[in-house]
Amino acid sequence: MMATLIFPISRIEGHARVVIEEVDGEAVSARFQATELRGFDYFVKGVPAEQMPVIVPRICGVCATAHHVASVKALEDAYGVTPPPLAFKLRELLLLGQLIQNQATSLFIFTMPDRMGVASIFHAAAEADGSETARTNIALQALRVRRAGTNLITAAGGQFIHPVKAVVGGMSGGISAETAEGVRQELTAALPTARDLFDIYWQMSLELRERIGTWGDDQPAYYLAATSATFPTFDSDTLHLLGPDGAIEHSFPPRKFRETLTFQETEYSYAGQSSYHGQVLRANSLARINLARVLGTQHADAYLQRFRQEFGLPAHGILLFDLCRGIELVYAIERSIEILGQPLDEGWAATAHTPRDGEGFGLVEAPRGPLIHHYTIEKGKIADVEFVIPTVHNQLAIERALIVAARRYINKERVNLELERAVGRVVRAFDPCISCATH
Amino acid sequence: MKKFAVLQLSSCAGCEAALLNAEEWVDRYKLTYMPLVTSAHSLPEVDVLLVSGSVRSDEDLHSLHESVRKAKEVIAVGTCAISGGVAHLGDRDEVRALFLAEAERRHVPRMLPKSHPVDALVSVDRYLPGCPPTPELFMAALGELPDFKPGSSVCQECGRRKVREIRPEHLTGFMQGEVLPELCLVNQGYLCIGTSTRGGCRALCTRPGHPCVGCRGPSNAFIEKESTAWLASICKVFTSMTDIPAAEIEAGLHSPQYAMFLFQFSDYDEYNRTPHPKEKVL
Repeated sequence: MMATLIFPISRIEGHARVVIEEVDGEAVSARFQATELRGFDYFVKGVPAEQMPVIVPRICGVCATAHHVASVKALEDAYGVTPPPLAFKLRELLLLGQLIQNQATSLFIFTMPDRMGVASIFHAAAEADGSETARTNIALQALRVRRAGTNLITAAGGQFIHPVKAVVGGMSGGISAETAEGVRQELTAALPTARDLFDIYWQMSLELRERIGTWGDDQPAYYLAATSATFPTFDSDTLHLLGPDGAIEHSFPPRKFRETLTFQETEYSYAGQSSYHGQVLRANSLARINLARVLGTQHADAYLQRFRQEFGLPAHGILLFDLCRGIELVYAIERSIEILGQPLDEGWAATAHTPRDGEGFGLVEAPRGPLIHHYTIEKGKIADVEFVIPTVHNQLAIERALIVAARRYINKERVNLELERAVGRVVRAFDPCISCATH
Repeated sequence: MKKFAVLQLSSCAGCEAALLNAEEWVDRYKLTYMPLVTSAHSLPEVDVLLVSGSVRSDEDLHSLHESVRKAKEVIAVGTCAISGGVAHLGDRDEVRALFLAEAERRHVPRMLPKSHPVDALVSVDRYLPGCPPTPELFMAALGELPDFKPGSSVCQECGRRKVREIRPEHLTGFMQGEVLPELCLVNQGYLCIGTSTRGGCRALCTRPGHPCVGCRGPSNAFIEKESTAWLASICKVFTSMTDIPAAEIEAGLHSPQYAMFLFQFSDYDEYNRTPHPKEKVL
């Protein structure tokens, strides 16, 4: 007999569900379906190219900063203009702010409830009685770490959700010493909080592993990241493909993405999927940490070392994506504090340019992996556009991990109710973004 | 403890992300439903329901109808819920045909022929415009800031200096590098419409140097009028402060980046709706 199990997914960005089919106690398929679409591919056609950096952040309010910077870089590539050094620093801060905000959200708001056994970190807060303030404190502390990231985005990017300060040729302005110092102090205060929360999280993850007996799908996979092995930056120009053994197999610029990866659309999702020579790809935190050798900041490198000792190189268990986010959260805070100590309003922030028609590619490493904007410009307007979204790279990896979980919890006798929780944990490990994936 | 819920329709989650930047509600409200941050399969009875995003799919339509029945008060939050927002750009005829022909998928919720604002389908008690609204505006909407007094316009909250002696002759593109820090953006030739856009955001775009694109909608002087009244007032500002040809201003105002915000409160012809009374809009 065949049965279809449908699981709506919460605590991720956007609308998605998982559909598992089982026949006589054997899980035969698992699909991850993105169920929303707005249609950016279609409606930005005809938009004046210069308006893209303010329109495309609206693809996603969680990943808006990455879209803002990728968009400006695509225009700069088309116009042949290089920003001054100050602009690179400011953009790096923007992307670090995004990483802080995102990793804090994914760790403490999306996945910590799975480790605490509650439906929401905010329920935990609301249900805690007067004598038990620990859980309320976790919720408030998580929001404060997150907000330090938001305030960094605001300082570097202007608007707090949909930034406005990256412009073709650079940035529309720097950060005053006073503002930089304020944000630096807030991040300095957030660092020990983030580390404490991450330590609790790491411990809870070990307990979870103990309870369920697995880190999830740990078969080898290909990894895709646009950071580097040492001192990673997120305003990037090269993608790296790691083989299942963890060695870099191929490095390529964004304009080569079509000839390197295979893209496919399906009838069961508004999001597509990508693969490498028919093999499963993984992007996001675990890909970057498998690529990393030295991060270059004190506490993040200590966490990285501990991670290596416990899980080896490369690591493949999917619940390790979550731990890697914590390492990156600490790194992003430490690195931002360093950059904010440098002058950020001296010298010019933007290079002059002349718009022209043509084709441009903009790459950044977004929290979820490499993000590429590809524009074709005719008569100053967008004639064609491609948004290459990190979640799309993870689609097949999510489905493979889902089938591993389904086989673990479905047998001839019964469907173990742990399956529902496992499905949530699997999807959240990849921190998919549906608004981006469908756009 | 008051209960509230957040229903996210087709959107970018920016409104939700903005709400998470406020923390005052955490120990004062019970958040019963908000799929971004809670696992709850259905929406229970609540005091306040915030709805973000536009009604783009049949699933959006269904969850909207199901949810508003359970709420004492419904607040439409953000441009998408109020007018369709950025997704509304997909309703241009030439785009729509292509879109529905190419984008449809068999095994997922169906796209509606066009994107709808929330109040075209259900009754809305209050409106909180902004793309997204700031955390402060969220708290004010939830009644947590009784002393909150928004400025009458973005211009009033901005504080950049207007001068008579600088009269630009053409619009400055958005991507023209560094912006002077203290001088009014109109004096610098930017199509800034903060003079008549609703205040309350504390001029968060114009102060760092990006022209106001009107995401909070028209100020109280224009909110109960046709959008043409708002457009005329903007043109008047540019005639008095600059020598930029009127046609250039009009074209700019009708370009996508402005159009998606400029028409958010007024274009209800097809729904036969009356303008929004200013008392309902924060």
